[in-house]
Amino acid sequence: MDMLASLLHTTPAIAWMALKVVIVFGGVMSLAAVWTWVERRGSAMIQDRIGPNRARLFGRWPILGLAQIAADGIKMFFKEDLVTTDANRRLFWLAPILAFVPALMGFAVIPFGKSFVSGGQTYHLALLDPGNGMGMLYPLAIGGMAVYGVLVAAWSSNNKWSILGGMRASAAMVSYEIGLSLAVISIFMTTGGYDPAEIIASQSHLPWKWNVVPQLPGFIVFFTCMFAETNRLPFDFAEGESEIVAGFNTEFGSMKFSLLALAEYSHLMTASALIATLYFGGWQVPFVKDPPVLLSVASFVLKLVFFAWVFVWIRWTLPRFRYDQLMHLGWKVMLPLSMANLVFHAWRMSQGH
Amino acid sequence: MGVIVMKVELSWLDRTYVWPVMKGMSITFQHFIKQLFTRTAKRYTIQYPDMKKEMPAGYRGLHELKRFEDGAIKCVACFMCEEACPARCISIQAEEFGDLNITQGFEEKRPAQFKIDMLRCIYCGMCEEACPKDAIWLRNDYEVAAYDRLSMQFGKWDLMNTYAEADGKDRISQDPTPSVPRRTIAM
Ligand code: SF4
Ligand code: SF4
Repeated sequence: MDMLASLLHTTPAIAWMALKVVIVFGGVMSLAAVWTWVERRGSAMIQDRIGPNRARLFGRWPILGLAQIAADGIKMFFKEDLVTTDANRRLFWLAPILAFVPALMGFAVIPFGKSFVSGGQTYHLALLDPGNGMGMLYPLAIGGMAVYGVLVAAWSSNNKWSILGGMRASAAMVSYEIGLSLAVISIFMTTGGYDPAEIIASQSHLPWKWNVVPQLPGFIVFFTCMFAETNRLPFDFAEGESEIVAGFNTEFGSMKFSLLALAEYSHLMTASALIATLYFGGWQVPFVKDPPVLLSVASFVLKLVFFAWVFVWIRWTLPRFRYDQLMHLGWKVMLPLSMANLVFHAWRMSQGH
Repeated sequence: MGVIVMKVELSWLDRTYVWPVMKGMSITFQHFIKQLFTRTAKRYTIQYPDMKKEMPAGYRGLHELKRFEDGAIKCVACFMCEEACPARCISIQAEEFGDLNITQGFEEKRPAQFKIDMLRCIYCGMCEEACPKDAIWLRNDYEVAAYDRLSMQFGKWDLMNTYAEADGKDRISQDPTPSVPRRTIAM
């Protein structure tokens, strides 16, 4: 332990930062890759099937079909990288990156463990230290950018199905984003700040003090909007494979497609992290007042994995909404609900609670 | 004829949408758990090359040309099956044979060649229905595939041996009695 601490003190801050970047983004990316497997096996179990279990590591160890991830990766990597003749080549090349980068970037402010003091210096387990002035506004802003990935992918492939998908995504975004923002604003209001560290600290270690309990309507709105934001069933009409071929994915192949797919899963991870941070106390361990650092990290990862699993679970339970139903839901249900939530908490605060 | 469409009235609980979603999720989760704790052998999926489905009696799979105990073919080359076959995939050439033995009673005709084009066969079982001698059966082997078209032309000896291993019989490649035109036998 002493050696570890002295190592920590002698490493320059920049190396510590680089290590954090590698751990966080590497972790999220590999979790996203694993989640493609979870999605396939999980959906198979839910539908009484078996799912991919035949790919073997070095042709020998089946390890529950986990080798399928590597097999898929290799397959995607060696496929021909086709660009249709009428595509806007530059945007076509840019689109997967535009989808992928914002999906990961949202993770930067989220604390994945308790800050700790060592050798008179505080180490924060988040890429951006608390008090950076962006706080939770940053992932929301970045999340709003994610629709550009879809839209650019749709526009650049010059295909009517793609454009339909992109248009649906952008129109849907307008209808859910307001409800989402209002739900988050009421958290900012009750917390008295929008820094994730403050939000987590205010939720304390008691589960009934987590934001999900007093702000249940806000949570439901936020959670539903996260499905719309990550473009997943029941709101995946940007892809809508039974209606518009594959939506914005239609013209993409090889690594471009896998990057788009990975972007979806990274987005899912970011969304679960946001839910855990905003409504379920982030790294707080239930009933443990001052948890050790590693326990807090484990608690955060556990919450993250659980919500990521809920995303998969809901996807294989619900059918796709019709496009106008999300509009209806967004404008006539979510917006009033989150507005009522906001007003209620404003009233409660004015009464001095 | 008019159809009366009954409008389903949803209760307020159903109209919140949250409660039905939770019900649905509990159903899918039950399936998930059930599937998770079922052994592979007990699941609905039959993982084909490792496990094979037991075909029901009366399944129409690969044909067999039946034989007597001494290995003589039961078929008398009556051409009924060739006539009945809707896919026109059977072609028979008959031959006479002398030296009648016990099992074959009074039969003195048999196929010299009996060919079924398995690529054209639709496994309808008409040949089995038509046969007056019960000489051709469709049985339970459904794995009829080959790497080239020629090996899908099943000849007389292929058809007589299709189930030899399954039944524990010898493979035969020769008629027990020679095909000798009767008139050449000295009276
Ligand atoms: S099963 Fe039908 S198609 Fe096949 S050989 Fe017999 S009669 Fe012809
Ligand atoms: S298999 Fe049956 S129907 Fe066909 S030629 Fe032989 S005896 Fe006749």
